[in-house]
This record gives sequence, C-alpha cells and structure tokens, in this order.
Amino acid sequence: MGLVFALSPLLIIAVGALLLMMAEVFFKQRNGLALGATLVFATAGAFAGSIWMVGVENLPGIEALSPWLITDRFTLFFDMILCLGGALASLLAGGYLPEHNIDRGEFYSLLLFATFGAMMLAGSGDLLTVFLGLETMSLGAYALTAFRRASPRSIEGALKYYLLGSFAAAVLIYGFALIYGATGHTDLAGITQVMASGKAEMPLMLMALGLVFVGLVFKVSGVPFHMWTPDAYEGAPTPATTYMAVAVKSGGFAMMLRVLLTVFGDAQSMSWSSGWPPAMAMVAVLTMTVANLVAGRQESVKRMLAYSSIAHAGYLLVGVVATMRSQTQASAAVMFYLLTYTVSTAGAFGALILCGSRGAEAVSYEDLAGLGRRHPAAALPFALFLLSLAGIPPTAGFFGKWFVFHAAIDGGFYALTIIAFINSVIGAYYYLRVLVYMYMREPAAGAPVAIPMKSGYVTAALVLSAILVIALGLAPAGTLDMAVQAATHSAG
Amino acid sequence: MNLAQVFFFLCAAGTLVGAIAAVASKNPIRGALGLMVMIMGIAALYLGLGAQFLAAIQLIVYAGAVVVLFLFVIMLLGPDATSATDMRGLAPRVLAGVLFAVTGGAAISLTIAVSKHHMIPRVGPDFGGVDAFGRELFSTGIVPFELSSALLMVSVIGAIAIARGKHGGLPGELKSADEIRASLAAQATSSEEHG
Repeated sequence: MGLVFALSPLLIIAVGALLLMMAEVFFKQRNGLALGATLVFATAGAFAGSIWMVGVENLPGIEALSPWLITDRFTLFFDMILCLGGALASLLAGGYLPEHNIDRGEFYSLLLFATFGAMMLAGSGDLLTVFLGLETMSLGAYALTAFRRASPRSIEGALKYYLLGSFAAAVLIYGFALIYGATGHTDLAGITQVMASGKAEMPLMLMALGLVFVGLVFKVSGVPFHMWTPDAYEGAPTPATTYMAVAVKSGGFAMMLRVLLTVFGDAQSMSWSSGWPPAMAMVAVLTMTVANLVAGRQESVKRMLAYSSIAHAGYLLVGVVATMRSQTQASAAVMFYLLTYTVSTAGAFGALILCGSRGAEAVSYEDLAGLGRRHPAAALPFALFLLSLAGIPPTAGFFGKWFVFHAAIDGGFYALTIIAFINSVIGAYYYLRVLVYMYMREPAAGAPVAIPMKSGYVTAALVLSAILVIALGLAPAGTLDMAVQAATHSAG
Repeated sequence: MNLAQVFFFLCAAGTLVGAIAAVASKNPIRGALGLMVMIMGIAALYLGLGAQFLAAIQLIVYAGAVVVLFLFVIMLLGPDATSATDMRGLAPRVLAGVLFAVTGGAAISLTIAVSKHHMIPRVGPDFGGVDAFGRELFSTGIVPFELSSALLMVSVIGAIAIARGKHGGLPGELKSADEIRASLAAQATSSEEHG
C-alpha cells in the first residue's frame, strides 16, 4: 500500500487525464471539463500534502521505485506547486477557451499530462526519468502553444519553441551520455558516489557539465537561451501561457536543483574557481538585466509579462547560485519564490484574461486605459498581482524576493544581490506603468476599449490566487518552514 | 586479422561512407539514402556483437520508419525544393560544423585516452538479444518503461489537438490592438462613404 500511496499524486493525474478524455467523448456538454481538471489537480495536490503529513519515512516499500523515482519532501513540495499551477491554469482555461471559441477538451488532457511529466521530473532520481519527464512536460507545452491552430502567431511561437526545445533536449541528453561515459551510472545517487570518490573522468565530466548547463538554462529560459520565450508566450492562448510561465518553469527549476545539486554538487563543481556557480551568476545577471530592459519597452502587456517571467527566472537563478554557500537556505528560498511567483503570475495572466472578451482581447497598455474607473472589479486584482510581481509588501512577491536576496547576502554574493535589487526596481517601472494606465489614463476618444468577460472560472482562479498572495505576504513563516524541510530532505 | 575484424572494418567503412554521403550530398534523396546506408552499417555492427534484437530494431525503427518518413517529406516537397546555391549563412554553418567537430573529436579522443588505463567492459554473451532486453525492460526498467507511456500519450493527444484545431469550430483569432483599430477605422471610413 505504501507504494501506491507514494505514487498516488502521479496516478491521480494520469487516471484523471484519461477519464477526462472519456468524458469529452461521451458527454456533449463541455463546461464541466475545466472543473474536472481542477478537481483532479486539487486531489493530486491534496494527496501529495497527505503524504507529506504521514511522512515519507513511514511509507514501506517505496524503495521498489528507486532509483527511478524518489519520494521525498522535495518532490512533494514541487508536486504541490505544480498542482496549484495546473489547477489555476485549468480554471483560467475554463473561462478563456469558450470565450475565444477554442473550447476543445484536449486542452485539459494536455495540461494534466504535461503536469504528470513535470511531477515525474521533480521526483526523478535517474537521468533516464529526468529526460522522460522533461520530454513529457515539454511535448505537452509545445502542443498547448500551438493550440490556437488558426492563428499564425500561435503556430510561429510553437514552431520556434519546438525546434529550439528539441535542440536543447539534444544538448542535454548529449551531456547525460557523457556523464554515463564518465561515471558508468545514470542514477543520480550512483553518479554522486563516483564523483565523491574521485573516480570520475574529469575532462569528460566538465564537458558534460557544460552541455547539461546549457540544457537546464534553456528550459528555465535564461538569457542567452530565452529567444523562444516571448514569441511562444505571446502566441499561446493565455491559459497555456500561464501554465508555461508557472508550471513548466517550476519543473525546470526542480530539474535544475536536483541535477546540479546532486550530480554536480561535489566541492569542486560547486566552487567559485572551477565549478558552475560563476557561469550561473553570469547567466543570472544577463537574464535579469536583459529581460527587465526589454520588458520596459514592450507595448503589449502579454509580451511584457512574458519578459517579466524571464526576469523572475533571473532572480531565481541568483538563488541557485547562492546554493554554493548555503545549500538548504538557498534552495528553500528558491522553492518559496517559485510558490509566490506561481500565484502572482497566474493571477496577473488571469486578470489579463478577465479584462478581455471575444474579439477584443486586452493586449496593449492602451486597451487597459481607464479600466480602474470602468471596471474596478477587474482592475483591482490586476493591481494586486502586479504589486506582488514587483515585490511590494505586504504581498507574497515581497517575501519571495526577500528570502532569495537574503540567501544571496548570507552567501556573500553582494554584487549579485545589488544587481538583482536594481533590477527589481527597474521591474517595478513597467508593472506600475500598467497601474498608471488603469487608474490615471482615459482611453483616447473613439479608441476601442477592452470589455471584461464574465466567467465564474476566471473569477474563482483570481480569488484563489489573491487569497494566496495576501496570505503568503502576511504569514510566510509556515510555508517557508515547509520549503526548508523540503530542501533539507533533498540532499542525499 | 580474423574474419570478425574484417567484418567490423567493412561495416565501419560502410557506415562512414553513408554518413559522409548524408552530410555532403546536395541532392536530398541521395542524402537520405546515405543515411539509410549508415543505419544499415550500424545494424550490421550490432550483428557483429551478436545483438540480433538491437540490429532488427535499428533497421525497423530507423531505416523502416525514420528514413522513409524523410523520403516522404522530400517527395512531397519535390526533390528540388532546396536552394543549392544559397551562400547566406555559410559562416555560421561552417562555424557550427567546426565547433561540433572539435567537441566530437575531443569526446572521442578523451574516450580513447580513458580506455587506455581502464578496461572497457566487454558485453555479455546475451547482450542485445530478445531475452536479455525483455528481462531488463520488464524487471529493472519497468518504472521508466511505464512512465514512457505518458510520453507517448501526450504526443498522441498533442498531435490530435493541433490537427483538430484546423477544423474544429470557428477559431478565435488573436488580434492586436492595432489590428482592431485598423478594422474599426476601415469600418468608419466605409460608413462615411455610404453616408
């Protein structure tokens, strides 16, 4: 029973996805599919939470899955983040897809299977399952991007994402092959052992590190491997964009923490002189700076949010660099940041969905002009989520940034922290610009204005994320404690 | 040199010739056939190791499915759909080739260097046979085997989702503010003309 219980989050997602597909075939009414998908995500997340409470050490028989899948608190924490992201995305889809006439049931199956892949990725203890999980997640994301097939923009974004993503996957698996060649193992624990005993072939391992590094940074869209992100995020239907910004990115960071901290977690690879941290710091600085500068120049709010998600990947990478000095504190900070980022980003995209309706999707800043006066109920949550993304207290985003920067300062990365801080100030400019348009501008005479849609699903998603944004902003201690536990149990 | 070695060198030479033809030939059909020769050479190398199952799979999957798919695409586009005289992007292409050659060369030379002071383990007598493969797949490898079904599932659903999108209902078109404005302006001018 322990084995089934340990697998229950994955099993629920997979079975739920299959049942939803059957439901789509046999029932004509499509309205319930979004609710069904949300419930499947909620159940899987709840099971992950109950495994957490029972304690993974009290589950007999889970060694049967080793080394392929690991059930530890790290996995469970990411399972919960991913299920939350998936649930929010399917709620948003429940409002968006019928409104924009692309209501097809495959969307929810794709969301569920992509999440299955991401959860596989978070729990993988072997390079083989890492790759399987990554591909399952990415294939789902490619298809979601191309979901609005009739739109050339959607197809363009999906094609770029697919081609570049396949190259990155090829580079990653080249690196994995070299790791296998250097150590004779594909399981992470075995590789760590060989690395610790000093028997690994170092030149091969270094080349592997370079290749794996590129693959990992691509998947979290770090600069200079971010070219696909704005096009894919802009072309995709907005719930799919939400899902990619939230769950696919969390899955990428789960993979990054797992692979870098175990396979390349030895003293030499983690050192500033001969390891990956300086390269990662470089990528972090580039990612934050480039994304923030470009985001400020965007005229489309959706594209601005895409660049903003790249910038947030930069802040997260600062946390990944800080794992060099204080592994537990920094990875806990990264995990907590991912949670706050999930609720704020899903909320911001959700508010953008709510502000538009059929044929008049809110995309540019001008579309939102005067929204605060015309439709205060749509503008208020938007403002809250943007403040959270900008990191202004008392929202969740503030504590997310606070803990990551704190970990970086404790690790002695002063210059990196200062650059990150300056960047978050630049970031505040374009978030606040939306607020200026919503509350202080009036639309030009005769200009088309976005008409907010009415949807219970989108409202539910916004209420849920607003509650979480405020709750995490007022009382982060309990959740942070969970993240610390998750980070503690991930080592080894 | 015994017979096995002669067989090995013949197959290796065939593989190399096929690989070079696949890269160097300007005619895409010839390139695809070069790829086929390379794949058959590798399959023959597997046979030399006594791995009949791997050899068969190599032929069925790569020669039977992948290369045929390539050929289909080439035939659909027409064999002269490529521009043979396209010199743009020559520098990045050459650079990428050099970069790849250096990386690959380094990997090969490192592997040779490693193999000098480490014995490369020999494969067992039942390597690559149906028995050994099946036993491995359904005992130690059962978890990734089951998980890969999710990968296949998501690719099937993804393909259906994209294919159905073309026909299913009136697809919503993503309009930028400029497009909406332009269409509104066009409506306004046409109503003025009528008025």
